[in-house]
Amino acid sequence: MNVNEYLSKGKNEVKEIIKEAREINKKYNYFNYIDEDATGGKGKLSNLPVSVKDCICVKDMESRAGSLILKGYKPVFDATVISRLRKEGVAIIGKTSQDEFGFGSFSTNTDNIPKNPIDVERSTGGSSGGSGGFTAITKYTHVSIAESTGGSIACPAGFCGVAGFTPTYGVVSRYGLIDYANSLDKIGVMAKKVNEIKPVFDIIRGYDEKDSTSLKLDLNKDEKIKKIGVIKETLNVDEKIKDAVLSKLKDYEEVSLPLVEKYGVTAYYIIALSEASTNLAKYSGLRYGESLDLKGNYNEYFSDVRSKFFSTESKRRIILGTFARMAGYRDAYYLKAMKVRNLIIQEYKKAFKKYDVLISPTMPIIAPKFSEISKLTPLENYMMDIMTVGPNLAGLPHLSVNAGFIGKMPVGLMVIGNHLDDNKVLKFGEKIE
Amino acid sequence: MKIGLEIHVELNSKSKIFCSCATQGSNVPNTRTCEICLGMPGSKPSFNREVLHKALKVALALNCKINKESFFSRKNYFYPDMSRNYQITQYELPLAENGKFEGINIRRIHMEEDPGALIHFGSITLIDYNRSGMPLIEIVTEPDFKTPKEARTFLNKLITLLEYLNVYVREEETTLKADANISLEGGERVEIKNVTGLREIERCLEYEAKRQEIELATFKETRGWDAEKGVTYSLRKKESENDYGYLTECDLPMLELSDTLLNEIKKEIPELPNQKIKNFIDKYKLNKDDAEVIASDLKLAELFEQISHKIDAKIAANYLRRDLLGQLEYNKLQVKDLKIGEHGVKDIGVMLNLYQKNKINNNILKTLTIRLIKEGKIGEIKEQVSDDSQLKKWCKEAIENNKSVVEDYKKGNENSLNFLVGYVMKLSNKSANPQKVREILKEMI
Amino acid sequence: MKIDKELIESISKNARLKLSDKEIEKFSHELKDVLEAFSKLKEVNTDKVEPAFHPIKIVNRFREDIVKESLKQEDALKNAKHKKDGYFVAPKTIDK
Repeated sequence: MNVNEYLSKGKNEVKEIIKEAREINKKYNYFNYIDEDATGGKGKLSNLPVSVKDCICVKDMESRAGSLILKGYKPVFDATVISRLRKEGVAIIGKTSQDEFGFGSFSTNTDNIPKNPIDVERSTGGSSGGSGGFTAITKYTHVSIAESTGGSIACPAGFCGVAGFTPTYGVVSRYGLIDYANSLDKIGVMAKKVNEIKPVFDIIRGYDEKDSTSLKLDLNKDEKIKKIGVIKETLNVDEKIKDAVLSKLKDYEEVSLPLVEKYGVTAYYIIALSEASTNLAKYSGLRYGESLDLKGNYNEYFSDVRSKFFSTESKRRIILGTFARMAGYRDAYYLKAMKVRNLIIQEYKKAFKKYDVLISPTMPIIAPKFSEISKLTPLENYMMDIMTVGPNLAGLPHLSVNAGFIGKMPVGLMVIGNHLDDNKVLKFGEKIE
Repeated sequence: MKIGLEIHVELNSKSKIFCSCATQGSNVPNTRTCEICLGMPGSKPSFNREVLHKALKVALALNCKINKESFFSRKNYFYPDMSRNYQITQYELPLAENGKFEGINIRRIHMEEDPGALIHFGSITLIDYNRSGMPLIEIVTEPDFKTPKEARTFLNKLITLLEYLNVYVREEETTLKADANISLEGGERVEIKNVTGLREIERCLEYEAKRQEIELATFKETRGWDAEKGVTYSLRKKESENDYGYLTECDLPMLELSDTLLNEIKKEIPELPNQKIKNFIDKYKLNKDDAEVIASDLKLAELFEQISHKIDAKIAANYLRRDLLGQLEYNKLQVKDLKIGEHGVKDIGVMLNLYQKNKINNNILKTLTIRLIKEGKIGEIKEQVSDDSQLKKWCKEAIENNKSVVEDYKKGNENSLNFLVGYVMKLSNKSANPQKVREILKEMI
Repeated sequence: MKIDKELIESISKNARLKLSDKEIEKFSHELKDVLEAFSKLKEVNTDKVEPAFHPIKIVNRFREDIVKESLKQEDALKNAKHKKDGYFVAPKTIDK
């Protein structure tokens, strides 16, 4: 049942969905934690079952961001989005599985790997894999609160055939989100249908004084779509993916974004990894998370804990990120990437002078098999984000909707809007879905 | 000899720099903490406006150039007292630069947070994060000091200035710390880290200067100060040139300071110590020494200004310096412990008036001052006894009971008269007018 | 610049990561590729371009100087495995 219908009818299927989640989890690994006793309450979202990506803090619920090093961490506070949702009566049914700290596009960098709902030998995409998978497979009314840094909402939405919305950076509070990269992280919403996203988005968005990067600006009211631009460079993919996307559009023009295509992934990763490498410094076995017996001196202890409990991918990213901001390299990498980001934002802004929304495929491929993923080099892995990094780097609102299928695997279409055009993006998505 | 200081001052805002935990209160460990100053995953900092205002006041009072645009950075290093293993500080663009105070050039002033406190306990270390997130400003001077004494004098004046600005609480000297740099002619610079309090700062510099005189420093070094043993010691070399890998603090936006704000802050700066001293000399006609002593404490200076409405400035200054400060020291108290309200000020005026008119003597003054210190008011003033008949009675008694002393005086011993005066004072329970007593005794003898 | 074993070792030490010889070997290969790709940024002319630290420029966010309730001691320590008498416990520290 659609969220809007569920709410208007005052339904309560929380117990049922929890039972389903428990069963599904045995095969699909969508949840790191299920709250058997979850209940809802009164409010605008009364008794709406909501799953939450593991990196978003829910008070007293283990929130380990898909990592081992944070195992056992039970936050003593709710993320702002969670307290706003609770106020409106949602039932938080559990924490969904993900790539550790958001590091990945296939949700394989974790101990609890979610499987694609349509083909269990394939990935759900990442890093919000558990959210994407469960949203697709559940027979009950449900939305998932997920998170995107470089495309972690759009990608699993595309691979699992559901709608995934990432708002303008700063529109939804990051307070309580376990950081990947502070200038790139955004909390968003996944649901089966686009029109199920807005009622939840309207509750979680808006200025939060606890998040100093939270925007005080209002969303734009204008939702009219006059001109549609398709990003030329993104059409360089499998014919079938291209056709699926273009078949959804009536009138459009091709627009070229050369900077995004050439330097987007690079600028994104340098910024993301630099910020991540400092964000992950706090995991050292002292105040929360995994720890070891206290022996040796503190430096040895920190190294022992971090080396034991961080995954290889985390270590790789920490090393890269530390390098990019070390004295001597900062200007060439970290600062340079920040300047390139500025140029990329300007490139988008120029395009938005002419077009209301920009379109591209969400991902350059359909959901890959796990066996294929393991053969990818780190660089090939990072290049998978080529479609999604652009809007994420520029902090633009973007939505992935299902555009069709290749065989049985879904193909995602991404709608990108200008800063604060969140409502326009959602409106358009509803139309073409 | 060249000495430079990096001074850490704890500001007296009500809440911490990046969270709303109280800066004062419970000393029970980890009871003034929250998810932010504990660095819990998911928490984010939020910058205290009052800390900016206080830091700006200091920067303006030290004649610095304010950077209209500045931001916070993450200084990354691993240590158990660091709740996030990075400190939020200002690196590339500090709040203020290029100031001058008391002839010393100020290189820069920036804001940052304090880490937690460690207690070493055998093979483990205990951590209390109450202090984590306390607001600090760091004032870095150029190496302009030529002696350790100069450094201490500067710090005293700096503390007075900070008190005048109401940004700092002088509390057992635990809230001012410094890293001190010292080099001798031809030698390398040695840094002594983390010295607490003015006395220790001067001591460690004196020790290090002597140590370098014996053996000139041939390489740049960082040392610690052992206050108990009174020596500096080599700190185990930190791994490599600790690359802090500075990053902008991406959870906190840039600061853009307007002229309007700076003008508002300027208006909040009160008359500063140097100006007060000048005023005391020019307007109130005090001598330099009295002026400096009274201006060295804001509360004392304000008390002086209030009393001088009712009483001659010189008498007020004398009273404060000699009697009030004297009694405070004797009772092991400080000016900040005084609780003198409007009433108390009035009382002092009345008391000094009577003293000026010779209606009360020094002893009574002393008694009343003690009462003032202990109770914050003077209360009933019993004037000294100047009634001739009563005085003559006591003098007669003194003479009759001390015949030998009287003889001594007649022989020319002046001290004997003092003894007799003292005897009368005792008889009268210190309430006799000593000058009159002396005259009467002389007459009688 | 040289992506060699030494560089990887010094970075991992800075980041408090103990890497095995095999890991160091693997990383130095992988990182060489990644860093080469990163170096492509050199091609972009960024003269007179301001760095964009956030996608939308945000300035001057302040919190008022009002005290709010702190966590109870037990909540502050709740997630720590090593604690004693209200303190967090760490292994032996030497001077900074």
